[in-house]
Amino acid sequence: MTSDGRAAGRPPGGAAVLAARGADVHQERESVSRAGRGRWSLLRPGAPGRQTRRRTGPWGRRRAGATPYLFIAPACLLLALFGILPILVAAVVSTTDLDIGGLGDPSTIRFLGLDNYERLFSDPKFWQALRTTTLFVVLGVPVIIALSLTIAVGLNVSTSRLFTVLRAFYFLPAITAIVAVALVWGYLYNSQFGLLNQGLALVGLGPVGWLSDPNTARVSVAVVAIWRATGLNVIIFLAALQAIPQDYHDAAALDGAGRWATFRFVTFPLLRFALFFVTVTTLIGWLQFFDEPYVLTKGGPVGATTSVSLFIFQNGFSFNQFGYASAGSIILFILIAAVTAVQLRLRGSDD
Amino acid sequence: MIMNKPIARVLLAPAVAGALLLAGCGGSSEATGGGQTPEPKEDVTLTVWVMGDSGTNFEKVVQPFTADTGIDVKVEAIPWDNVNDRLTTAVASGKGPDVTQVGLSLLASYVEGGALEDISGNLASYPNLAPENFPEAVAPASLHADGAAYTVPWVGDTRVLFYRSDILEEAGIDAPPATWDEIRADAKTLAARGKGQFGYYIPQWDAPLPVSYTWQAGGDVVDGEGKVTIDTDAFRAAADHYLGFYADGSVPTAGDFDQAAGFISGAAPMLVSGPYLAAAVREQAPDLDGKWGVTTVPSGDNDMSLFAGSNLGIWKGSEHKDAALELLDFMADPATQVSWFTTTGELPAATAAFEDPALTKDPMVAVYADQLASSRALPISTRWDAANAAILETLNAIALTGADKDSSLKALYATIEEINAR
Repeated sequence: MTSDGRAAGRPPGGAAVLAARGADVHQERESVSRAGRGRWSLLRPGAPGRQTRRRTGPWGRRRAGATPYLFIAPACLLLALFGILPILVAAVVSTTDLDIGGLGDPSTIRFLGLDNYERLFSDPKFWQALRTTTLFVVLGVPVIIALSLTIAVGLNVSTSRLFTVLRAFYFLPAITAIVAVALVWGYLYNSQFGLLNQGLALVGLGPVGWLSDPNTARVSVAVVAIWRATGLNVIIFLAALQAIPQDYHDAAALDGAGRWATFRFVTFPLLRFALFFVTVTTLIGWLQFFDEPYVLTKGGPVGATTSVSLFIFQNGFSFNQFGYASAGSIILFILIAAVTAVQLRLRGSDD
Repeated sequence: MIMNKPIARVLLAPAVAGALLLAGCGGSSEATGGGQTPEPKEDVTLTVWVMGDSGTNFEKVVQPFTADTGIDVKVEAIPWDNVNDRLTTAVASGKGPDVTQVGLSLLASYVEGGALEDISGNLASYPNLAPENFPEAVAPASLHADGAAYTVPWVGDTRVLFYRSDILEEAGIDAPPATWDEIRADAKTLAARGKGQFGYYIPQWDAPLPVSYTWQAGGDVVDGEGKVTIDTDAFRAAADHYLGFYADGSVPTAGDFDQAAGFISGAAPMLVSGPYLAAAVREQAPDLDGKWGVTTVPSGDNDMSLFAGSNLGIWKGSEHKDAALELLDFMADPATQVSWFTTTGELPAATAAFEDPALTKDPMVAVYADQLASSRALPISTRWDAANAAILETLNAIALTGADKDSSLKALYATIEEINAR
């Protein structure tokens, strides 16, 4: 039976799924149509609207002015309902002591002001979770980008059947249920009868506590996450690579550029948009790192793999402190928004 | 996309609650009262939450009930991992089942969420529900300080000492350890068998273990008012016992050590676990039959163990309270309790059921019955859950990462004070 609804069967439309990721989803949509092809209009959603207004259609000037807004209305409504509203609710909840008793009988809820935040910043567990998350980001993001770009470039060499199969092979982890992933990796990593330790024993090396040594466990968990996330990014890079017109390569060849020079001065710059997209989404994903430690280690051993998200989850759902957990999620939201804003700003300046 | 969205989960429940607040209607507070209107029983359908994979078995066992009373029972099976989510959603929306299984470890959440009906006034009318039919550990008075009865016992579960008699014998130990000193010494002897061999096993996720040790040392972890009090000699003795196994090198330090596999392979020839381990060993290693046994846990000052069963409760505001009470009465009937045991292997809660031949023919059940009589439930409060997690993490940090014991315990006591103040 599927025992793990939390990790696997999470409905994608869950009320607040978009909450902390509103920006993320928005970028994703943009990039699917634009990756590697043209300018991003991320910050200029009004641009197409303005164009329509100028070309006054058969309905006259005023109607045409409203039409584009009508088109984006459903998306805006959904974003407001499932993205902005839950954030506001969480912000309100974070100033209270809401627990399960408060859910049952709202008259018991007390207003705490900023007490939850004060407690959060003096909670060594929160700081440890923050450090752990930072470590995961520093470890995971560059590796994923380098790895997926390398694989994509490799796969782009040919379109033969072998390469098509390989492409599917790399994408497989991305579509495998996390529960299955946890089970298989759990067996590989197991210190008692795991394949990795059996292999090490063959060459006379001692057993490694892949998931039970605090420092090793962090790396083990990150490796699974890297393995899972690479596939999707490979596809994005591959799409971007294939969208580069052959003319550029031909021109480079005529100029006598070698393979490396072509990649360095022609291909790589043309991948900037895909690279930006992958960086933004991967960074957000790792800041919210949750699934792998949740299913593999439950945040252990002794809290070594507890990310901020897992910390929030534990306080909210294991200890019933919704107010405190909401304060944590607001801080994480602000953190993600800030990091993403910085990236957009940096990106804007090199345009 | 790539990663998932845990925040969503955290935001969801408050969002539900917040929406209710905004709408100005107060969840279950509105749904109380009622439930007394008499109605023709033939039309009644009870919705029952059953946890884990017991749903189908439940349907099977209640068939005679439906045949007798005409009350239909609709079972909703809820995976253990989802119980908290479902509970939170149901409490926030005020829409729950009529009857629910309540694992003792989750009873606090149910009670504090106001999800359960107080049935203390009804127990007298149902002979099977009388508190004296069950072990004292799960009597309403032992569970709730306010004199209420929110649940009735249903499934019994406890922790006993499992041991591999063949391996103990080889090591020159002719009887399983009966005291703390003996188990420390035996575990050390057994661990000396070689690399990868241990004497005992401590599950690193087993939060109740240090608590049972505290009980065994003659202490308690909460005071009369429900405040967590572990700055005591009994707790320090429990901590020393717990950490002693690590200091002796008698237990595996790997967090992913598998207890069933470890017991079967002999790597961990002694450990404390529940009847489910016996079922797993019988199924996975039938050839070990006769080479292992169970006995009551070694005693410090006494041999108190954990009572970890499941109870049944009636959802607050259920429109079928009478029918629900009848179902509870049926489930607590010793005959039904025996049929639940033969169907699932889960132990009865009703003491009388242990005299049935179906149970007496298994010598291990007699050990479980003995241990159940010397078992206690964990404190029933959500504050306790946070305290228990802190205790476990501190002890594990000392044992596994070499954190300084005195300062770690001092920090733990401070954390407990902070939790008490919440």
